[in-house]
Amino acid sequence: MEVVVASSSVDAGIGCWDLHTGAEQLRHKSCWSPPHGLVSVGGRFLASSHLSPQSSGGCIFFWSWSKPQIGVRSFPAETIKPLSANHPGTYIAGGGVSGDIYLWEVETGRLLKKWHAHYRAVTCLVFSEDDSLLISGSEDGSVRVWSLFMIFDDLRSQEASQLYEHSFTGHALRVTDVVIGYGGSNAIIVSASEDRTCKVWSLSTGALLRNIVFPAIIDAIVLDPAEHVFYAGSRDGKIFIAALHTESLVTSSYGMHIIGSFSNHSKSVTCLAYGISGNLLISGSEDGMVRVWDARTHNIVRMFKYAKGPVSNICVVRPEIDSTNRISQSSSRKQGSDLPPPLEKYSNSVEDLDAKMPILLRGDKRCAEVSYLSSHVISSHINELQRHGSAAASELEMGKLKDDYQKSMQMVNQWKKMYENLHQFCVKELLDGGQARV
Amino acid sequence: MTRPKAKSKKPGGVDFKKIRRKIGKKLPPPKNATNTEIKSKAIVLPEQSVAADKAGLAVNKKGLTLKELLQQTSHHNAKVRRDALVGIKDLFNKFPTEMKLHKYAAIEKLRERIGDDDKVVRRTLYDLFKSVILPGCKEDNQELIISLLMSYIFNAMTHLAFDIRIMAFDFLDLVLKFYPPSFSSYAEKIFQNYEDILRKNQYFSQDRGKLKDVLAGLIHCLSLLPWNKGETNLVDKDDNGRILLHAFDEDMPLSSNGFSHIIKRLRDLAPVLINRFLEFTPSITAMASLEGKSFGCMLSILHGIDLIIRPFVHGADKESESPSLEGEPNGAMLDVTLSSMLLKKVFPLFPLSPAHHLSEKVCNVAQSDNAVSEKSLIQLLPFIPKFVSRGASYWTTRLLQAFTYLFRESKPGSLLKLACLSAIEDMLTPIQAMLSLEKSNPENLELQEYLMAWIAELPLLLIQLGDKHPACSEVALRLQLHIGQRALSNSSLACMYDDVQDKLQNFYCTCQGGGKKCSGPFVRLPRESQELSLCCLYYFSHLDFPILKSIACCCLSPELDPSVLFRIIEILHSAYREGHIKIADHLSIFITFVLRFKVSPEGSSGLKSVKLSQTFKSMTTLLCSYMAQIGGNYLVLNIIEKVIIDHILLKPPLDNSCSLLRMIVAVDSKPTRLSEQSIIILGNYLSEYLIDAAQSLPEHYDEQCKRSTQLTSVHYYLLPCFFLFDRCHKLLNLVLKTMRSAIAESSLWPISDDYTQHPSNWLVRVNAVASVLLLIDKDPKMRQILSSFKEGVDSIIQNVSSLQSSEKISMTIEEKHKIKCTYDRLKMLLR
Repeated sequence: MEVVVASSSVDAGIGCWDLHTGAEQLRHKSCWSPPHGLVSVGGRFLASSHLSPQSSGGCIFFWSWSKPQIGVRSFPAETIKPLSANHPGTYIAGGGVSGDIYLWEVETGRLLKKWHAHYRAVTCLVFSEDDSLLISGSEDGSVRVWSLFMIFDDLRSQEASQLYEHSFTGHALRVTDVVIGYGGSNAIIVSASEDRTCKVWSLSTGALLRNIVFPAIIDAIVLDPAEHVFYAGSRDGKIFIAALHTESLVTSSYGMHIIGSFSNHSKSVTCLAYGISGNLLISGSEDGMVRVWDARTHNIVRMFKYAKGPVSNICVVRPEIDSTNRISQSSSRKQGSDLPPPLEKYSNSVEDLDAKMPILLRGDKRCAEVSYLSSHVISSHINELQRHGSAAASELEMGKLKDDYQKSMQMVNQWKKMYENLHQFCVKELLDGGQARV
Repeated sequence: MTRPKAKSKKPGGVDFKKIRRKIGKKLPPPKNATNTEIKSKAIVLPEQSVAADKAGLAVNKKGLTLKELLQQTSHHNAKVRRDALVGIKDLFNKFPTEMKLHKYAAIEKLRERIGDDDKVVRRTLYDLFKSVILPGCKEDNQELIISLLMSYIFNAMTHLAFDIRIMAFDFLDLVLKFYPPSFSSYAEKIFQNYEDILRKNQYFSQDRGKLKDVLAGLIHCLSLLPWNKGETNLVDKDDNGRILLHAFDEDMPLSSNGFSHIIKRLRDLAPVLINRFLEFTPSITAMASLEGKSFGCMLSILHGIDLIIRPFVHGADKESESPSLEGEPNGAMLDVTLSSMLLKKVFPLFPLSPAHHLSEKVCNVAQSDNAVSEKSLIQLLPFIPKFVSRGASYWTTRLLQAFTYLFRESKPGSLLKLACLSAIEDMLTPIQAMLSLEKSNPENLELQEYLMAWIAELPLLLIQLGDKHPACSEVALRLQLHIGQRALSNSSLACMYDDVQDKLQNFYCTCQGGGKKCSGPFVRLPRESQELSLCCLYYFSHLDFPILKSIACCCLSPELDPSVLFRIIEILHSAYREGHIKIADHLSIFITFVLRFKVSPEGSSGLKSVKLSQTFKSMTTLLCSYMAQIGGNYLVLNIIEKVIIDHILLKPPLDNSCSLLRMIVAVDSKPTRLSEQSIIILGNYLSEYLIDAAQSLPEHYDEQCKRSTQLTSVHYYLLPCFFLFDRCHKLLNLVLKTMRSAIAESSLWPISDDYTQHPSNWLVRVNAVASVLLLIDKDPKMRQILSSFKEGVDSIIQNVSSLQSSEKISMTIEEKHKIKCTYDRLKMLLR
């Protein structure tokens, strides 16, 4: 099941719809998420940063798929706007308004690392395809690429003059969205900014590959899965198609590299997403509608009425849990027990850092339970396996020896038989020869 | 008989053989004869060139062929050699094919002249290579040509005569420029030669110019090293030219592995350069004014040292990354020895000389406008950021002091200013890094003070620059933007940056005496600079009302391009969304835009320009959508209601009031939230507004011109009223009442006013009222509402009919006919 999840920066909850049937699912309550603030953590639950007008500080809330209420509330040290989780959902990264980036471990809620990333507030955070890089965009117009290996390597990060791998400083105003393509270290990064441009950067060389000037501010971008084009949602309500690999027409009416556009005839497009299966483009708009487009024909396939307020976030998620099964299970549980503990405010350095690697095992699809095992459990398992293994090996050895013994016994018998035959033959021959001579 | 005959014959026959010859038969050739026959394939006879037939051969002006010319290049007379070289140049220019065919032979012969004794000959040869031969060989096997030349060049470099050596370096430079990749294979030898020549003090002490040339060549060589290449390559990459993103990039033939042996050479070269630099300093400090040439030399030496040092720093970085290299001696150790040497010798000296001299000479610059020293100062400036980035120490203060003085005193728009600005930009990052590391350090505090001083200088500079020096303005604006982007992390910096806005007011709009406002330099800057300065606005932590006012004033200037206007509004709104502008200020700026915009340009006596009104319409649409986006419409309405009503009382022009009404409509809701009082005021005003709007219709309005442009424009004016009526029925009632009384009044006018002037005037008004009512009636939704106020409409019709029959007013027949028509039209409403 593919679910479209949408949230707003004014409270209208989190709306969920099945992308293919169009049926509305549970609506989670009380969510005021800023742009890029809603994220599905490994498909297991939803996390969102929260900027309510009532309370001064921002917080981060978790919702489980099955319940509309907030499951877990955490209160970080400063207001967090963008959130991002890596693909298996083991870590959450958040960008603060002071320009710091925080990295939490989901299972324990521990704050693993916090570092000063930008001169101004972080506006968007994206993990790369293999989760080794974190790309952040900021209000000061810079886009920076962070290698998590570097961040956690204390020795190297102390020696190096800067923590980041690349710092792209081409934008004159706030960066509104950043996406990264496929292709590992050779991927492209596309960033959009309020200065009306989108820029394409090369991850391997750190060079600016392309600068595309749009007729309006671009708030959201999404890459076509084949990376032929990218779609850019603008503040004047149009979705522009910009060329990446296709031949671009210079004579286009909008400008260099812009192939075309289609409009939803409404207010500004605030967020874009691409369906996991099927060639579907999903856009959220200022007027509170979520539209599903056929990416090939640019026709609206479906429309979800979200709320009156602007949609600030859209994700397309495959929830891991079959909801019917889940409800029966969770009813027997205590509330919120299927969610991890809240995220910590400050990093706690007392604990030993050796066993901080959570390992997520999910072999069986039917097993709804997601279990975490720390590394020492694994290592004890391995030990045990080894011990088991040696006993079995000796048994095997025994069997083998027995086999060998039997085989050699057979051989001995055979030899004996042959010898006797030969003996008899010789005796017979001798006797016959003697008789003939006689 | 026969026997004796035979006997007698025998002895004689032995000694003297008698040979009988027949008469008439030819003799056989004697055995010992010498063969005198001469055989040859061709006969070469040197002939006089004047006499020779050269038809069909390539010849130069003097009629000499290439072969002859080449022969002449080794003539013992220098003049002949020179003439031959000139001749070859001439020939090649005339017959390019000749050069193609014989270039290798020619080069082989010509290269001997590299070490020629005569200066003029060498010069001519240099010229020949530079202008003709090398450009002509671009597509051929360049390696071969280089290898042909190189050995002779190296030979000349070790020549006894000093001039020849110097010239050889010129040739080297030429060759390297022609085919840079060849450098890698000769690098070691080249540096060796440079080192040797630089050690020869006695020659250079007289002639600074030559030293400068040599140094320039050295710098070129150094910049060809693979680790120094980066900067030059990045610049010329054009990002827009590429069609495919992942297209294959051709790599430059970089053989960086082959350069490891050069590092040793460079290490030897560095002390030589440093010594040379030290030699200069006493003479410079002794001299009263900066002498251009020696100053240039010092500069190139510094540049050279910089280029040499770079790989070591680079290498040190690498080493820290890969500990396996630790054993090698050329990394860390070298770095230590060199940098210690540098620190000891150069750094203390450097700030001494420039600091003294800058401050002294700057005065000179100001007074006598000494072009030479200004030029050299410009070249000097790029070094300052590099020194600053190495860390604060006791002499940085002096350096920065001199720099700040220079920055203040230099003429706006001069190249010097430009260089200063880019130097500041380069210093921004290291200074910020230092400030964020340790704030308590007093030296760092000083750095910060200098930074503040520069920032304070920027707006003044921008205003001084005006629109005369767009390039300089752009650099200054970019610097301002970069400071703004980084300002948040440092509170005192942020304060300073915010203070800049007060001074920037005049940049957007200059107030002249008597309250007359005039647009500032902003309006006339190129588009990119405008964009940059707008981006600067976004980064102020709070935008105050005065600067907003001056921006608004600038927006309303007719010179401004509409696209810039929209961009300004967009950026202001972005800044508002970030909380940099107070909501009241933001809204009042919007209202100012709408109120002050002049649809009809000045001097056109009220005629509307189509383009301007189109701009105005789209601007209003944009503003309304932004107002709706603010959220909390009730609140917004509360803020703008009073202001807008106050302005409406002053009766602004039709277009402007229409836009004001649109703003109210944009934030109002279905049952209106307007206060009772404002509804009354609006009721009074709207009737007048509607009548005005209807008057813009053609007089003989009929059903046929339904689709005409005028009708749609009238509809545009009416639409906000329709919304208001829909939301507040009472308002319509009020409007109808006012209209009725207006008609009643107009019937009284002729008595009170001048009798002759007015009949047509009030007639028009009555007509307009009728059209308004009809237009309202045409809208299906409005018709419903109108039907609920039947008595109001009735009374208007009554008034009209009474007017028709009124005896007080004398009307012409035509007028009577008109009012009859109007009455008939109105009567349709009752049906």
